[in-house]
Amino acid sequence: MKLIAGVDIGNSTTEVCVGSVGEDGSFRFLASASRVTTGTKGTLPNVHGIRAALEDAMYSIHQPLSALDLVRLNEAAPVIGDTAMETITETIITESSMIGHNPSTPAGAGEAVGYLLFLENIWKGKPGVPYIVVASSKFSYEETAARLNQHIPELDIKGVILQADEAVLVENRLNIRIPIIDEVRHISRVPEGKLAAIEVALPGTSIRMLSNPYGIATLLGLNAQETRMVTPIAKSLIGKRSAVVIRTPNGNVRENILPAGEIFIHGEREEKVNIDAGADEIMDTMRRAGEIRDIDGQQNTNVGNMFRRIRTSMTDVASSRDQDVRITDILAVDTLAPVEVSGSLAGETCMEKAVGIAAMVKTQHLPMQKIAEKLEEELHVKAVVAGVEAVMASLGAMTTPGTQLPLAILDMGGGSTDAAILEPDGSVRTTHQAGAGELVSMLIQTELGLESRAVAEQIKRYPMGKVESLFHMRLENGSMRFFEESIDPRYYGHVVLLAKNEMIRIEEDIPMEKILEVRREAKRKVFVRNAVRALAHVAPDHDLKKVPNVVLVGGSAEDFEIPEMLTEELAEYRIVCGRGNIRGTEGPRNAVATGLVMSYLTGN
Amino acid sequence: MVVNKPTINIYTREPDEDLLREICAGIEEEGVLYEIHPGKGDLDDLAYEAAKESMLGSGIGISGQRIAMQMARLPKGKNVFELNAPRFWQCRNIGSNSARAVKKMPFKPVHGQEGNM
Repeated sequence: MKLIAGVDIGNSTTEVCVGSVGEDGSFRFLASASRVTTGTKGTLPNVHGIRAALEDAMYSIHQPLSALDLVRLNEAAPVIGDTAMETITETIITESSMIGHNPSTPAGAGEAVGYLLFLENIWKGKPGVPYIVVASSKFSYEETAARLNQHIPELDIKGVILQADEAVLVENRLNIRIPIIDEVRHISRVPEGKLAAIEVALPGTSIRMLSNPYGIATLLGLNAQETRMVTPIAKSLIGKRSAVVIRTPNGNVRENILPAGEIFIHGEREEKVNIDAGADEIMDTMRRAGEIRDIDGQQNTNVGNMFRRIRTSMTDVASSRDQDVRITDILAVDTLAPVEVSGSLAGETCMEKAVGIAAMVKTQHLPMQKIAEKLEEELHVKAVVAGVEAVMASLGAMTTPGTQLPLAILDMGGGSTDAAILEPDGSVRTTHQAGAGELVSMLIQTELGLESRAVAEQIKRYPMGKVESLFHMRLENGSMRFFEESIDPRYYGHVVLLAKNEMIRIEEDIPMEKILEVRREAKRKVFVRNAVRALAHVAPDHDLKKVPNVVLVGGSAEDFEIPEMLTEELAEYRIVCGRGNIRGTEGPRNAVATGLVMSYLTGN
Repeated sequence: MVVNKPTINIYTREPDEDLLREICAGIEEEGVLYEIHPGKGDLDDLAYEAAKESMLGSGIGISGQRIAMQMARLPKGKNVFELNAPRFWQCRNIGSNSARAVKKMPFKPVHGQEGNM
């Protein structure tokens, strides 16, 4: 009896499978394991990850590593994915001309117009002139209210702007009802003496006057020319609970279109497309270009720098053989990113247009042979490079119950989405497309404005709930879950992710519905689009209807909603599509490693 | 004691008046009503009884310079937040939190540095 191991090195995980082959050719699967890939796929540091995974698998069948007779590595497809994001618009406030944020408790409601006056200068105020009083946090709420009350009889005070979070406290002590905005962080930057309009929305609504260019014109008495100038201000205040617009002669809010640059596609036809045109146009241009040799961007523009960055991060693989790094596919996705407005007074953000791009680099050959040699040296077990990744994956996928030839597989990993079709005569057609799990994480991160990629990664992976009391939470599908022991108060009122054995708190104050929408949309944008694109590429005559069944494999096929999205989408083409179940036990993982062990038999 | 108004209860025993005022300001800024009553027992008793008797299920106990926030149906002694000789901003935030418990909003930090959200 011989022990054979199959090893599959992916962009993010390394998977192994161990099987035994008897003298009579009888064959049994014994164990499998997976570990995080160490180093960039196809480089020598991978050996650590392989060794750890093999140890795990052998440990589970109580055998030492040395009991292995043969290790079979896959001839990994020489594609490596990377992602980048570039905003193509930016908003700049010149001179302080607006404040628009969401304090949790502003006070009063409605709008007011007046000249800005600091509380310390309130004695300089003249009767008959409308004022909006600005108070820094060095005044307590009692002091602020007392001073205002003292001057209310002779001065015409229309509204108040506070630095501290004390709007309700001041309102409760004032003799009159006026709108009060609080939590304005950089209050010293407010220009005294200028005319300003403030607005506080009614509970449950957002502002309506200051988010409307004509509303601002009405309040501040602007002419048609000036109204045109304030339109970007109105746009950036949409959806806010409170706002201030200050009339400054030179002040302005501009929306800049950044010089985003052009993408040059070198294929059967030379094509170029401006990144401003948006994702759909970029993808159409890609199709027109046909078979693609390389893609790059205009020098000294955002997109040019983006492609250069991707190339640089790939060189550690390519340089080992001095190969040129060529980008052979990109997936572009339109997105919006909340970016802090430069020159803001209270940390305002504005949704800027952006394009996310996943690129795929094809090198000529990954140095797999070197990895095999190194592995042999370290483990004292014979190691060989055997079989092409896509063929192995198809072989492995065939062990899913209920499949038949011709069989298409869709391997959705971290860096790339690969498709292959295995015909009954044994021929295989394959394709590799840029864009997979990592692009989804990046989209989630930018659209929700999250600080860390790790959190975005977790949002992608786990369902969520909102902790509504110390004893229950409402899950994203609307159902409730109750707890016998009280939940840690740190989670109270927060959206939490339900990982296997723990809850992960989301620090940012984002409604659960919003997170849900962004998460699903990101997955749909990347995977549904890519699945159709990849399958059309390998399908007979590029006709999706000629693909009878599709097995989903790879890390992203384990996701709790992506396979369902694809099943739905592909049902339109009458394709049987579902999450693979390798050997009836492994789920969508381990297809390549399984195929490698199986091919040992046919190979001999 | 019969409490029939929707209020947060603050049960006190020889409270530090400055700290108490800040707690009340925190609740008031969140727009929730509160009542202050003298209570009996130690800090855990004060907070526990305050929350239990509150129609909103949220209460605060203050004994001298020690403050505890409690929510109804939590066991006695298992206070949600507890402060000993706190600074004013901490009192303000523990007051806010007793109101946020009612409004089902995330709590503000009561430990660490001021303004460190």
